[in-house]
Amino acid sequence: MTGDTHYDLEILAELAEGLLDADTAQRVREHLAVCDPCGELLADLAAVREVLAATPTPAMPMGVALRIDKALAVEAESRRGGGVGLAEPPDWDELMRDAPWERPAASGDVPRQAPEQTPEQPVRLGVVADDGSIVPARRRAPRRRRWAMPAVAAAAAVAVVGTAVTATGLLVAGGDGASVAPPIALPSQSSAQPSVSRDPTRARAYVVTNSDHNYSDHELRMRLNDLLGPAPALNGASSESDQVAKCVTAVSKRSKLDVFAVDRGQYNGQEALVVASWKKRATERVRIDIVDPFNCKNLRKPALGRW
Amino acid sequence: MNSPPETPSSAERPSVTDAELLTAHINGDPHAFSEIVKRHRDRMWAVALRTLGDPDEAADAVQDAFVSAYRKAGSFRGEAAVTTWLHRIVVNACLDRMRRKSVRPVADDELIEAAERETPMPDQTLEREVSMEVSAALKLLPGDQRAALVLVDMMGYSVEDAAQVLQVPSGTVKSRCARGRAKLAPILSHLRNRSEANRVSSAKGAELRDG
Repeated sequence: MTGDTHYDLEILAELAEGLLDADTAQRVREHLAVCDPCGELLADLAAVREVLAATPTPAMPMGVALRIDKALAVEAESRRGGGVGLAEPPDWDELMRDAPWERPAASGDVPRQAPEQTPEQPVRLGVVADDGSIVPARRRAPRRRRWAMPAVAAAAAVAVVGTAVTATGLLVAGGDGASVAPPIALPSQSSAQPSVSRDPTRARAYVVTNSDHNYSDHELRMRLNDLLGPAPALNGASSESDQVAKCVTAVSKRSKLDVFAVDRGQYNGQEALVVASWKKRATERVRIDIVDPFNCKNLRKPALGRW
Repeated sequence: MNSPPETPSSAERPSVTDAELLTAHINGDPHAFSEIVKRHRDRMWAVALRTLGDPDEAADAVQDAFVSAYRKAGSFRGEAAVTTWLHRIVVNACLDRMRRKSVRPVADDELIEAAERETPMPDQTLEREVSMEVSAALKLLPGDQRAALVLVDMMGYSVEDAAQVLQVPSGTVKSRCARGRAKLAPILSHLRNRSEANRVSSAKGAELRDG
């Protein structure tokens, strides 16, 4: 007998989950024995479980892990400073702006991002990958680490960019970097290639950095100066910088805006140039183009950001 | 129980339990909590990302959750596992977010981006497609059903564990899962056919068809 009443998915799902009372369950089972369509539905339900179970669970991206470390460091700070309870999540950008450089960072604390000039510290940045359990993360580990390695150099680079900036008066927010960094900056400014940051800056009217950082959309919504600032500046004449110049021209042609900073890195794991142009200088609004460095094609929709 | 604070690396104390770490944290060990974070962040991330379906929202939720766990560590009673407690905080942070934001329409390219971030291996296009479809489909479910399915079907927790995390009876978890699966079945059924083309065929399905 093919009962004219079929059972809906919900009943079948409840059957599979053992939620039906004995009588109902018995009736449904008898129906299933003779009804192909309902059997199909039950198979669909089983497939849902299989599909869900088979969907890979990603590892936490580095940017998120860093953010959490930062947030907890601030939390630790407030706990030690007399346990000032923060009523709501504070503005991390604001709070963390000066912290990694200014704090004495000696007495063991929750992981700081780049507190002191110990060589092992920056390796923390690669922690997501170093945990090693997740293959995709590991695949990019060397690249990440290349970016993460020189914390000292990165701190110095802020200063270099910062001074270059004050010298040329190009970047409004560069002042931050300059005010924070001097203690580290002075030696590096004299020892590390000063021409690198200055000459190209003046010649090109934009700063090129090479962070090799893997950007995510989320990070690109934060203040870009924090991301683009602490990266080693890229050397002057090379095929790479020709590429950059080509893309900068392409981007500014499309946007009709002045490009002022370019960073070589990755976007969601893909090689990319992060191109920042002034949208409105006074309010530090920038347009951010993410392009691939070979064809200068946009990898995502240009977006507005803050510098 | 407290290991020397000058050796914070995980390799130095492989055998310390989560509960011991939490106690150390409460007693002022500045490294203990970050060790807990390091141990569990990938799982917490997965739960949040699947529950919220949006990487930015998930990042906010996980951050809120860890900060809140950091503060509330003293209120951990030890009647549940630390992981359960952490999961509860993460899931609650996600559900809070969902409630506050209601449903935000998600652009296709955002879904693609999210999925790409999740499975960056270039040769796994099929997996990526599946992952995207699953994310999109999950968003159609009410939050409580979504959370239950993420924990039970995706993360593989037992109904009992999920019930502890969600602080509802097991029967409630089961019925949320059942209702959620019933809604997903029509949306995801074509994936079943596709995967069956590659595999032999789902045993249950074959059984039901042939028997």
